Amino acid sequence: MRSISYHKDDVIVVDRVSKSFKLRHNRVESLKGRFVGVFKRRWRQKTESFHALEEVSLQVRRGDALALMGSNGSGKSTLLQIIAGILRPNAGRVLVQGRVAPLIELGVGFHPELTGEENIYLNASLYGFRNHEIRARLAKIVEFSELGHFIDTPVKNYSSGMYMRLGFSIAVHLEPEILLADEILAVGDAAFQEKCHVRVAEMQKDGMTLILVSHNLDQVSKYCTKFVRLDKGQVAETGTLENIVKAGRQKN
Amino acid sequence: MTDIVENSPNSTGAISSPSMLWRYRDLVRNLVAKEIKVRYMGAALGFIWSLVNPLVVTLMYLVIFTYVFPSTQPHYALFMVTGIVHWTLFNQVTNQSCEILVQNAGLLKKIYFPRLLVPLSSVLVNLTLWSAALAVYLVFFPMLGGHFSWVLLTYPFYLLLFFLFVWGVGMILATLYVDFRDIKHLVEVSLQVLFWATPIIYQLDRVPVRFRHVLLLSPLAEFTVVFQSIFYDNRAPSLTITIAFMTWTITVVSVGLWFFNKRVPELVERL
Repeated sequence: MRSISYHKDDVIVVDRVSKSFKLRHNRVESLKGRFVGVFKRRWRQKTESFHALEEVSLQVRRGDALALMGSNGSGKSTLLQIIAGILRPNAGRVLVQGRVAPLIELGVGFHPELTGEENIYLNASLYGFRNHEIRARLAKIVEFSELGHFIDTPVKNYSSGMYMRLGFSIAVHLEPEILLADEILAVGDAAFQEKCHVRVAEMQKDGMTLILVSHNLDQVSKYCTKFVRLDKGQVAETGTLENIVKAGRQKN
Repeated sequence: MTDIVENSPNSTGAISSPSMLWRYRDLVRNLVAKEIKVRYMGAALGFIWSLVNPLVVTLMYLVIFTYVFPSTQPHYALFMVTGIVHWTLFNQVTNQSCEILVQNAGLLKKIYFPRLLVPLSSVLVNLTLWSAALAVYLVFFPMLGGHFSWVLLTYPFYLLLFFLFVWGVGMILATLYVDFRDIKHLVEVSLQVLFWATPIIYQLDRVPVRFRHVLLLSPLAEFTVVFQSIFYDNRAPSLTITIAFMTWTITVVSVGLWFFNKRVPELVERL
């Protein structure tokens, strides 16, 4: 088997990673169900393996902006979750160097009853931040989110746009070395989206590595220089961005 | 230079090294503060409600064993309250532990943080609320006939053991619950039985000798006797029971940590 060669500037190495899920049909969670299942076939739990990723390898250099592309169910989000350390691969390994901020969902851990400010502390500490570090960034986060005095209102009273803006604002102020984003860079109205773009570009200039999961070509071409296209859990295509834009145009 | 984190089928590095846990200490603080705030939000009496349950239980038994079946034991109230106060902590943690992973699915599936912090913050929430009950207990302690003596200095040590034991039980239950939802109901029933199988409202001496040794194998009986010895008998717990209790605690915490860490990466997929 081909062994992967490491480069000193690699911040993410995905080395022949495979991931399968057990799909449970007729899931049996109770002891009674399991017991009856011994005698009755209809009660038995059927499991089936689903291969989400098969021997996927890729390397990302410091400062790269990589787009993970592919149709629904091609395994992009699973790969992102494995890089983020949320899921564990069945085979292969992932090496990550640097502080990772996975943005799989905006506002993870937000509690509807708590105020925007309280949720900033909660959310940021999920990324491993200390409260004093958050306090130092608080003003900037609030300003960027454009929430103004709504910041001390419970989040349950926010509109979805306000909620997303706050979540995004926290994420981009945590100064991650690696940002893993799952289709969430399109937040809010056009003006706010532009602001997000400027902010992310700024972070990229400062050396941030970006992995963006998307099947939106416009978005991808805005942020990324390279791409990996997954198909049925395997790497189908890799290249630089010009190719993908061309390929996309041909498709259309 | 930052550390390289590996994620592979056998990697354990990312799970929970002590330094990693320490880095996330403010997360624990924020989770505990959130839980306490949210739990009693909107209730006029707030967290005072956490005191109501042990208080009502205590008064109920006190009435029964003063008027219905009068106890001949001196300072019976002190004896009983000592057991009930400590039982309350065990009772609350075991009751709530089952569902903590399922309740926190939203966090666990969206971001990586040391998973161990979920059962830890849950048990700390209970400990924080319980410390109010303990404070009330200590205020009433001299009035119920208790003496402040050097023996009380051994209490923090046993309390720590007790806390670790409860945490271990919580981790085991939380892990099992994801696959066996019956556990929650089983726990509810078992707690009823365990309460009466533990010498909380009766003295161990009242149990026939041949059952006494069986009863004392239970960790719950052991810590109840330990705390009664400290607060009621005003005597340091015996070496035998200390060793027995320590053995239980070390076993349960090790099994809990091992089991939780081993199962949790896979459980996250199924939440």
